[in-house]
Amino acid sequence: MPMESGYSTMLGAKGLIRKTEFVRIIIQCLYSLGYEKSASCLESESSVSYKWKDFEVLESHILDANWEDSISTLNQIKGLTDEMRSSALFLVFKQCLFECLCHGDYSMALSLLQKQVSHLKVGREKVHGLAFDMLSAKVMGNDAINENGVSELRERLLVELERLLPPPIILPERRLEHLVETAVASQIDSCMYHNSMSAVSLYEDHSCDRDQIPTQTVQILFDHKNEVWFVQFSNNGEYLASSSSDCTAIIWKVLEDGKFTVKHTLSSHQKPVSFVAWSPDDKMLLTCGNVEVIKLWDVETGICRRTFGDHGFAISSCAWFPDSKRIVCGSSDPEKGICMWDCDGNEIRAWRGMRMPKVLDLAVTADGNNLITVLSDKEIRILNVVSNVERVISEEHSITSLSVSSDGKFFVVNLNSQEIHMWDVDGKWQKPMKYTGHKQHKYVIRSCFGGLSSTFIASGSENSEVYIWNRRCSEPIKILSGHSMTVNCVSWNPRKPQMLASASDDHTVRIWGPGRSQR
Amino acid sequence: MDLDPRQYEHIVVNEKDTHNIVLSYLVHNCFKQTVESFITSTGMKQPANCLDDMDKRKRIISFALDGNALKAIELTDQLAPDLLEKNKDLHFDLLSLHFVELVCSRKCTEALEFAQKRLTPFGKVQKYVEKLEDFIALLAYEEPEKSPMFHLLSLDYRQQIADNLNQAILAHANLPSHSSLERLIRQTAVVRQFLNQEASKDGFQLFP
Repeated sequence: MPMESGYSTMLGAKGLIRKTEFVRIIIQCLYSLGYEKSASCLESESSVSYKWKDFEVLESHILDANWEDSISTLNQIKGLTDEMRSSALFLVFKQCLFECLCHGDYSMALSLLQKQVSHLKVGREKVHGLAFDMLSAKVMGNDAINENGVSELRERLLVELERLLPPPIILPERRLEHLVETAVASQIDSCMYHNSMSAVSLYEDHSCDRDQIPTQTVQILFDHKNEVWFVQFSNNGEYLASSSSDCTAIIWKVLEDGKFTVKHTLSSHQKPVSFVAWSPDDKMLLTCGNVEVIKLWDVETGICRRTFGDHGFAISSCAWFPDSKRIVCGSSDPEKGICMWDCDGNEIRAWRGMRMPKVLDLAVTADGNNLITVLSDKEIRILNVVSNVERVISEEHSITSLSVSSDGKFFVVNLNSQEIHMWDVDGKWQKPMKYTGHKQHKYVIRSCFGGLSSTFIASGSENSEVYIWNRRCSEPIKILSGHSMTVNCVSWNPRKPQMLASASDDHTVRIWGPGRSQR
Repeated sequence: MDLDPRQYEHIVVNEKDTHNIVLSYLVHNCFKQTVESFITSTGMKQPANCLDDMDKRKRIISFALDGNALKAIELTDQLAPDLLEKNKDLHFDLLSLHFVELVCSRKCTEALEFAQKRLTPFGKVQKYVEKLEDFIALLAYEEPEKSPMFHLLSLDYRQQIADNLNQAILAHANLPSHSSLERLIRQTAVVRQFLNQEASKDGFQLFP
């Protein structure tokens, strides 16, 4: 029931909305949707007029070329800053001046320019510009001064004034639409499971149920013969690579129906394969042997193109630069440090030194600007490779792994204190966002970003479960059961926001998808 | 290394050279009477119509200095018919002097019409457009002397244009556009600067 408050009736359960404002934006909405009859009918029924009284007066003065009255109306309008008022006056004077020139009344035009416009606080350039325009006004000749030409210009002046003047005199365009969209966007933001692009109904407050995110095992891949340590989807989401302590890596193809088949088994390593990395163009795959060599494979043919290093090379992780031509590797051997190579094995740049600790993990942001490294064992270094500016974050517990979001703005690290910390790459945050619930003491457990707009974080866990969080909340929103041993690594398909893969010590890779009702 | 002042005395200076230098200065600046008496005193020879041309040039330049640009243009056209066509910058500058005259005499409407008729035909070339923007801005002020463009109204500015016109007329008549005296002074200054720079590398200053 509307409450009275002084002169204005208030609406809304909390009495925060002024009835006249509410009706006015509805009228604006009707006009903008093309329902002119309804709009003017509402104006008369509600006695709320869409146009502001002062502006209506100004409008009629301008269309009739009553310049003096236009100026005095403008000067009387309340609620304008000096700057706005000067700019509006300038626009009106400009039109008036132009019309004087069209009638050949040069002395009037000059007098306006010198006595009025010059004294407006609109900046020298505008005034000088207007003087310059006077030259071309005459040159244009008498063609422009037919009736149509002039009234069209007056209409244009009104449009410009509408753009300039603030509420409540002029309403921002499509105000009602904007308010509704803001409310809907806010509901989407608070929706914990939101993972799709489809439109949201206005009839009910929006909230997704958990069927938007992966919750069920869709397929189990048994092809590895030992613990599976690493999985990662390709950047285009069409392939999955997994690597195992059975010394092989497998490239899987993701079929149209979401099923996985083996494309290639890459078996040439002599030691367990601890890490793989897709080139940004998805044509090549790097595999890292555990304290062994790195191999570069062609994805299409499955042939090993090149082998880097020799035994004892001790590369812990590697990453690609966006041009798919340069690789950077981090070593757990302090003498090797961090190296950047091209695909032919030529060293481009290196960071080494006496005080270089072991590199536990590293990543490059998608734009190639930042190199993030995890150093033994509590330090994160973010190096901007362009400006060479470096930032260091010190954690209080040992870090086991690092993962960067696809927009390159955030990264997560897993700590063996059973916490996952998310930091921003730019370094504006004083503290990280924290996520808990999973188990991690002894092993390297990896996490990743996923879902539409990377709103989710998934992680493996030592209790054989997969954990999923919404970034906004530190408690998990879903725990996936199915594996029988430690889940080492997870990867979320970057193109299919409802597909998640996990790698476990139980020799399998599991593919997860939304609940049955969604399929 | 100190320069021995006696070294100056060993250089022989030709009297004819000195006379020519002085004459060139006087001719450049149209000091007709001084030129006449100098020639008589020194017994130099001069080409026949040199004095006539100097007279004409002097009139042109003084009209320009006074701000009577239209008269200056008319006489220049008589003296050297295609000079202004070949020196568009100068032509523009002279016309704008007239514009400034009109503005100063508060004949603003005339000034506007003049600008539209005579200055805008210089077209879309960027440098003329920029200059024109500056000049036309004078019309926006009731008191142009107090405007940000007041330097366009100054004597210094007119002097500059008048000098340019003088040089153009001389060049057109195949005479040197700068007097020998001026060139000598400039040359000496440059040489001194250069030598001082070189010497100060060794810690000396030759010409303090």
